[in-house]
Amino acid sequence: MRNKIKVFRAMHDLTQEHLAQVIGVNRQTILAIEKGKYVPSLDLAFRIARYFGVSIEEVFTYEDEENASQIK
Amino acid sequence: MKKNTFYLIIGCIAIALVGLFWYSDVIHTPLLIELSFIVAVAGIYLIRRQVSDLKEDERDVKITEQAVLRTMQVFWVVFCAFSIGAVMQLLRAPTFPRGFPTEHPPILPELLSPRLIGFVQLGLLCLMIFLYVGFRIYYAGKYGDWETDEE
Repeated sequence: MRNKIKVFRAMHDLTQEHLAQVIGVNRQTILAIEKGKYVPSLDLAFRIARYFGVSIEEVFTYEDEENASQIK
Repeated sequence: MKKNTFYLIIGCIAIALVGLFWYSDVIHTPLLIELSFIVAVAGIYLIRRQVSDLKEDERDVKITEQAVLRTMQVFWVVFCAFSIGAVMQLLRAPTFPRGFPTEHPPILPELLSPRLIGFVQLGLLCLMIFLYVGFRIYYAGKYGDWETDEE
């Protein structure tokens, strides 16, 4: 799963800490999602997308493991 | 309540439990430490709810779930295998006779005394805590707990 949270954060001039507070998670969770270490639940993904005022597909892109390894 | 205060209270409870363990042994009343342990754990769960800066989100829950699952997958096999053997020993189960059943089945020599069984089971339980901590550290790393950023 790829995501553009960092891009949207930059566009809204938000820190990880601030986004985490608004969304109701720890800063480390936002960092882990951005780095691709943690795939958020559907609920959390929707909350993030809704906060930025965009659809979930604009923030998160599904990518199966085969494609991901081919890209790498 | 702050997180550090909570950890301090846990430390105090642990020390109190060690003292109660010793006292239970002195007065030969295992029920005392058993009940104390249950009360202590219930108390810790209640106090934990009062901690203000201990925010647990879905990633923390996932890490805990995975760590508990893996710990149980390893632990229950070892614990059950030992406990079954220990119960067999306590029941003094005879071995299957090689010939016809005799009137007096052979009695196994005592390999594990009840005292040793208790110590080994307690040891295994303590080992489970270390196993859990190990798995927790592993999954925390896997789900990005040690990641750093420029911010």
